[in-house]
Amino acid sequence: MARRLKDTCAHPAGRGAVGLLCLIAALAAGCEVRRPTNNHADQQILYTAVGADPQTFNPILVTDAVSGELLGDVFESLIRVNPVTTLPEPGLAQSWDISPDQKTITFHLRHDVRWFDGHPLTARDVLFTLKVIYDPKVPNSIRPGLLVDGKPLAAEAPDDYTVVVHLPKPFAPLLYSIGIPVIPAHILEPVWKAGNFNRVWGINTPPQKIIGDGPYKLTRYVQNQFIRMDRNDDYWMTDEHGARLPRLHGRVVQVIPDANATYLRYQYGQLDVYAPRAEEVLDIRQKIGTGRLHARLRQIGIDTGELFFCFNRNPRHYVKNGVTDPKLTWFTDRNFLRAIAHLVDKQAIINLVYHGLAVPAVSDISPENKLFYNPNLRDFDYNPGLASEIFETAGYHMVNGRRTDPQGHPIEFNLTAPTGRPEADQICAILKQDLENQGIKVDYQPLEFTTLVEKIDSSFDWDCVLLGLTGTIDPNDGSNFYRSSGNLHLWNPNQPRPATPWEAEIDRLMDAGASEMDPQKRAPYYWQIQQILHDQLAIIETVRRKDYVSWTDSLENYQPTVWGLYKPEWIQFKL
Amino acid sequence: MARFLIRRLLNMIPLIIGITFISFLAMSLVPGDYLSNLKMNPRISPEIIHQLQAQFGLDKPLLVRYVKWLWGVIHLDFGYSLQYRVSVTSLIAARAFNTVILAVASMVFAWILAIPIGIVVALRQNSIWDRILSFLAFLGMSVPNFFLAFLMVYFAMWMGKDWLPPGGTFSVDYNSLTLMNRIADRINHLILPVFVLGVAGMAGLMRLMRSQILEIKNSEFVRTARAKGLPERVVIYKHVLRNALNPFITMAGYSLGDLLGGAALVEAVMNLQGLGLLLLNAVRSLDIYLVMGSVLIGTMLLLVGNLLADIALVAVDPRVDFSSMASQ
Repeated sequence: MARRLKDTCAHPAGRGAVGLLCLIAALAAGCEVRRPTNNHADQQILYTAVGADPQTFNPILVTDAVSGELLGDVFESLIRVNPVTTLPEPGLAQSWDISPDQKTITFHLRHDVRWFDGHPLTARDVLFTLKVIYDPKVPNSIRPGLLVDGKPLAAEAPDDYTVVVHLPKPFAPLLYSIGIPVIPAHILEPVWKAGNFNRVWGINTPPQKIIGDGPYKLTRYVQNQFIRMDRNDDYWMTDEHGARLPRLHGRVVQVIPDANATYLRYQYGQLDVYAPRAEEVLDIRQKIGTGRLHARLRQIGIDTGELFFCFNRNPRHYVKNGVTDPKLTWFTDRNFLRAIAHLVDKQAIINLVYHGLAVPAVSDISPENKLFYNPNLRDFDYNPGLASEIFETAGYHMVNGRRTDPQGHPIEFNLTAPTGRPEADQICAILKQDLENQGIKVDYQPLEFTTLVEKIDSSFDWDCVLLGLTGTIDPNDGSNFYRSSGNLHLWNPNQPRPATPWEAEIDRLMDAGASEMDPQKRAPYYWQIQQILHDQLAIIETVRRKDYVSWTDSLENYQPTVWGLYKPEWIQFKL
Repeated sequence: MARFLIRRLLNMIPLIIGITFISFLAMSLVPGDYLSNLKMNPRISPEIIHQLQAQFGLDKPLLVRYVKWLWGVIHLDFGYSLQYRVSVTSLIAARAFNTVILAVASMVFAWILAIPIGIVVALRQNSIWDRILSFLAFLGMSVPNFFLAFLMVYFAMWMGKDWLPPGGTFSVDYNSLTLMNRIADRINHLILPVFVLGVAGMAGLMRLMRSQILEIKNSEFVRTARAKGLPERVVIYKHVLRNALNPFITMAGYSLGDLLGGAALVEAVMNLQGLGLLLLNAVRSLDIYLVMGSVLIGTMLLLVGNLLADIALVAVDPRVDFSSMASQ
């Protein structure tokens, strides 16, 4: 019935006559509307999903992950990072030279790049982009990465296709942080001069007006529903046979706020790619095995982020009117922290929380960061016997079933984590149990993210937190976390000068690491930082997820890594 | 009637100011502000946070910000969303049409089914039909609607690709469809959400209808009507039913205010374009002007809805008139 009706619907003459019928039929069972979601392969359109709406189409003002991901396909940058080697590789700049004193970098731009409106991309666009980023009236998250010793870079353009950047001193992270989206000067310069840059290219701008230079252009955006992108036919990249890239004709990114719904839609065939959560991996594997899902499933590596415990060491919170809270003494006592570290039951967390699909985290840098990960750290094994021994030797004795410090204060503290992450609740419950077996009382209370941030950032009113920070390739991106002066130096932020010798040493290593241009020579500095954080137990690691991605069988050249897609321009559907 | 209207409209002004001020206060008393969301991003330095704070005016005292916002509202400027950096009006407008379609469709669905069923079960009180339908009504009221939404998404998948879409407000290629296909596409996408949202409302309405009729059926004027020798049909439809409908008119007025924000969880599960989720996310990320815009519109809809309901009540019920309403 539905099929016959569809045929009638499609016939122009019969349309009006069967209008009412069609309506009724639709009400009853759903008229068979031509649904393109059933033939992604024929149309060569890739369907994926994101969990939230983009917040802006202005690539300079991006602060959220979704906008960043979408605009990455629309705007090109000077240099890209190869997700397999984690090394910089050519983008808009086909090559670059570093002067012998390492203070001047010359970028040679491609001559064949055009904006969507046909204007050629030149050095003027790059200089304009830098000017906007450094404009104090345009607050953006790109600027901090492009400051060397707090000062902007001096840039000049000797000709249309050369950009020369002068650094006050050698600064290796620049090759990563210069991967900024370049914006078209001929369109945005007048807007910027008029002082309207902060409001241009918001999400209510018609997508065709967003002029980029990347492999795809935005063609349609319906808030809370989907983003449609079409292939940029003038994109400069070609494959080994000289054919234009990208191979896909377009992308549809559905906005689906609920993760369970996203998973259902993937199984339904409406989405072509899905990154399953631990509990879904086994389900997908089984469905592929029994032929109910025509897809592939691959472990792409170890997650770049992890959850860790951190104890507050901030005297501004614990020392009041000359009286020091005993908590500060515990939380800066390495023996106390070592005992706690031996009480983190990573295997239980892996099994219970991640269904076995995780590995113990040892360092704050992921093993996937092949350049900077320190493989020599020794993990703190789960060992309650050893933990009690450490407690006893350090003077933390059991009194009436409560662990007390040498001064006789019973040990108890608050533990918090952001709400809405079930795994954080479970990890905290596991630690709480192990601590209670040691006579330590823990009050666990998850907090709304914004409330938690205020505590960590401003009021410092917390004892222990379970938190995660996303990992980036260049450890210098984590400056705010490593440096004692940083606002994300969680345990004691914004220090005027380093409170301890080891924090001073980390600051020194951060400076030294940033000034070394050779990646191989840089690594040892960051290995040492990881070693210090590990020895001082500034953060106590839990586990890292194994990351999985599943994609439909008909998709070819889909090569996901934890750092992003490898050669995304080559992706296509089998015909 | 004119006096009544003017009086009611004037009364709305202090109400709106009061409600918006309390909401503004509540949003400001929560620790942190929208920028707290950005502070854990290692790439955003405190300096940038300060600049954003100044740009958004978040560093000003509460009262100054409120008066500034109110001043804007008087000039029909509802302010800018901090997250999306576009005007609040444009965010709400983008979703308003679909929210209204969904809300009205599910309301119509609920009412069309609830009222006749309510009448039937009331007239056959304690019969097997009464028991079965009342049981189903309680079930409908107690199943959380987001859960029902999940069941329906499963149902759509089980039916197979060509029947019902498991989510979304319309298809991706909606713009390239013919008008007829667009309407069909819309209806196709509405069936499951309307069912989910309608079921809970329907169950409540049906119970209300049942108890109304039972109460009125035994009242004295019904006995008088029967004593006059009127046929049972006339007694029920002319006397019992008409009187039983009064609370429904009031309810219809209230539900105008529910148009906003009632269905956030269902919207999330079924991927519907709606205001509920927008508001929920705005509250969670402390996007204060977006919240205030929604609160303002919600308040106005509620007040206007009540006013319309009162006017309708006067029209329907001869016992109520404007002078008695005005003195309330």
